[in-house]
Amino acid sequence: MTEQVMTVGSVEEPQKESQARGGTPTWIRVLRYTAVRIVMLFITVVIGVYLTILIANMGGHVDEIRRAQIREHVALMLQNDPTFRALPPEARQKRIEAEVRKAEKRLGLDKPFLVRSFIFLHQALTLDLGRAENMTSDSGSRQVRLIILERLPPTLVLFGTSSMLIFFTSLIISLALSRQYGSFWDRLFVSLSPLSAAPGWFYGIFLITIFAAWLKILPFGGMISTPPPETTWEYLLDLGKHLILPIAAQMLTSLFISVYSWRTFFLIYSSEDYVEVAKAKGLPPRMVERRYILRPTLPTIITSFALSLISVWLGQIIFETIFDWPGLGRTFYQAIQVFDTAVIVGITVLYAYLLAITVFLLDIIYAIVDPRVDVGGVQSTTA
Amino acid sequence: MASEQRYLLKVEDLVLYFQTRRGLVQAVDHVDFHLGENRAVVIIGESGCGKTSLTRAIMRLLPRNVGRFEGRVYLDGEDIMLLDDEEFRTKIRWNKITWVPQAAMNALNPVIRVGEQVAEPLILHRKMSKAEALDRARELFQYVGVPEAFLTRYPFELSGGMRQRVAIAMALITDPRLIVLDEPTSALDVLTQANIYNVLKKIKWELGASYILITHDVATASELADDVAVMYAGQIVEMSDAESFFKEPLHPYARLLMASVPRLHGDEELEFIPGQPPSLLNPPKGCRFADRCPLAFAKCQEEPPMFRVDGRMVKCWLFEDQGEVVIREETPAVAGD
Repeated sequence: MTEQVMTVGSVEEPQKESQARGGTPTWIRVLRYTAVRIVMLFITVVIGVYLTILIANMGGHVDEIRRAQIREHVALMLQNDPTFRALPPEARQKRIEAEVRKAEKRLGLDKPFLVRSFIFLHQALTLDLGRAENMTSDSGSRQVRLIILERLPPTLVLFGTSSMLIFFTSLIISLALSRQYGSFWDRLFVSLSPLSAAPGWFYGIFLITIFAAWLKILPFGGMISTPPPETTWEYLLDLGKHLILPIAAQMLTSLFISVYSWRTFFLIYSSEDYVEVAKAKGLPPRMVERRYILRPTLPTIITSFALSLISVWLGQIIFETIFDWPGLGRTFYQAIQVFDTAVIVGITVLYAYLLAITVFLLDIIYAIVDPRVDVGGVQSTTA
Repeated sequence: MASEQRYLLKVEDLVLYFQTRRGLVQAVDHVDFHLGENRAVVIIGESGCGKTSLTRAIMRLLPRNVGRFEGRVYLDGEDIMLLDDEEFRTKIRWNKITWVPQAAMNALNPVIRVGEQVAEPLILHRKMSKAEALDRARELFQYVGVPEAFLTRYPFELSGGMRQRVAIAMALITDPRLIVLDEPTSALDVLTQANIYNVLKKIKWELGASYILITHDVATASELADDVAVMYAGQIVEMSDAESFFKEPLHPYARLLMASVPRLHGDEELEFIPGQPPSLLNPPKGCRFADRCPLAFAKCQEEPPMFRVDGRMVKCWLFEDQGEVVIREETPAVAGD
């Protein structure tokens, strides 16, 4: 069995190339890939935040308005000053200019907008947003950074649990449905997929009405009962109880469309030639399903899941407000109501970060499940 | 006549119909054929004539919409149609019959290393350890001309020709009695095709495997073939040894088919067959080729039986006087000796 092949040209590719590939260990390539992804995403965040700054300042026009306001204000103030009125016109003009310059310097308006925009950018990216105008954190601080960071964990708890649950439930159901394509359950899920046309908070209102107001078995909203339970067990149990309705609402809006599209992905991938080969190889059906249908389909599913996660982030503001969930979304809504600009800008920046982190994590998972993602190794050169 | 043990594979009265919205599609319609030890049968015919369905019926790789599936398939004298699905999976699939599918380029799972995919059947059917199985895969890679280092590569890192060789290595891994090749080279360039055929010839000489080879490419197939079966509209219309077939095909369809194969030198115009093959939904009652046949006569309105002419078999009324009718239970020994 080990005879050399004598046919001419049977070895199409030189051995050298395959050795070159073993040059860098996999973990270094993965590390390099990770670093590149982080840098790319950070640049994206920077661009996004800078655009927000430009738009919020109307490209520097806001500075002009404020300068004009300062000049008017200074002139009015000086008019009331008897010593000022006694001055000759030239000296009066000089005095006005001096006062305007002082006021502009105090507000940083003496620098051109371009420079100021980069100072804003630096402050925004480091969440150095100064003090809130009206809002305080639960610990009583007015620091915008503290207000925001205090609100982050509840949002992550809700978002993380519901996303994970939706992902795995959809995966299991869609795989089961693809096995019995055309059955009653399959048709049921397909026909329920338009439920996803309405957002999560819409179902939230109904669920709260039914389970909190009418049946009185679940809380109306919030994350923890008052007063909070004392032992960790009871605390977790209480948290779980408060999570049921928000997660159910999120499921109603996401589950059916995910199951519908993922089941279709599975059906497409299960008609690939290599699935037939796997069956012909005599692999047991469950192994065929796991190695030859589920694994090749995962990259596609993760892409679809990533897109849905991004839209969930965007819906978080109303969603948390409906469920009175003490997270970032509700705080954002409150900040808008009290015109707390610093908090609004801060949460916007944090959202940019969270989106970037979500995308980053999905990128890494994608690279793990799909070897075709080039993680920076030697590019294979095959004809 | 010949005892069944003389054949490696004997297919009798095999039927595979598909249920569609418009009715039953008769993809494989009462097919008989046989194959001796260490021989290669080439099945030729137009697209859609049921060649692939025939091999799928033998491998029991059936789609959901099977309308009718019956017949007898003897492998080493055992009727494998009687096995239940689980027995068929563990005893036949990749133990005795392996398969290189149409477009073998796509026969490999894109997210699993090719070495693992090739070694998989050994781990499963022969209970080998992964290391042993990979060693065996390495030997086979050498044998079919794939560099060893490719064991740890993914399919997308291999060229089309290399993937084809890997698919063939995979079909050899369990030392099967029978390898089914469904157009193994249709997507490749001429040079690579020639290389693959050389590998296949070598396997037949050295390892004693038997082939069922499906192809449109009559010219290259003629190099490998011991026997030829011509399929038309779901039926085998001629079965004969390769030498006499390529010299002089008997069935009018086979003659026209061979006349339409281009030759490198020679001035004769290429012929073509007017018309289209009949729909397999409601095929005509008599001979299915009658409408396109230049030699058709009144009797062609009845379905012809298989006639045996000089040890060859042909399903055409033209040979009524020259041959005897083949009765199903005693298929003559065309192949196998």
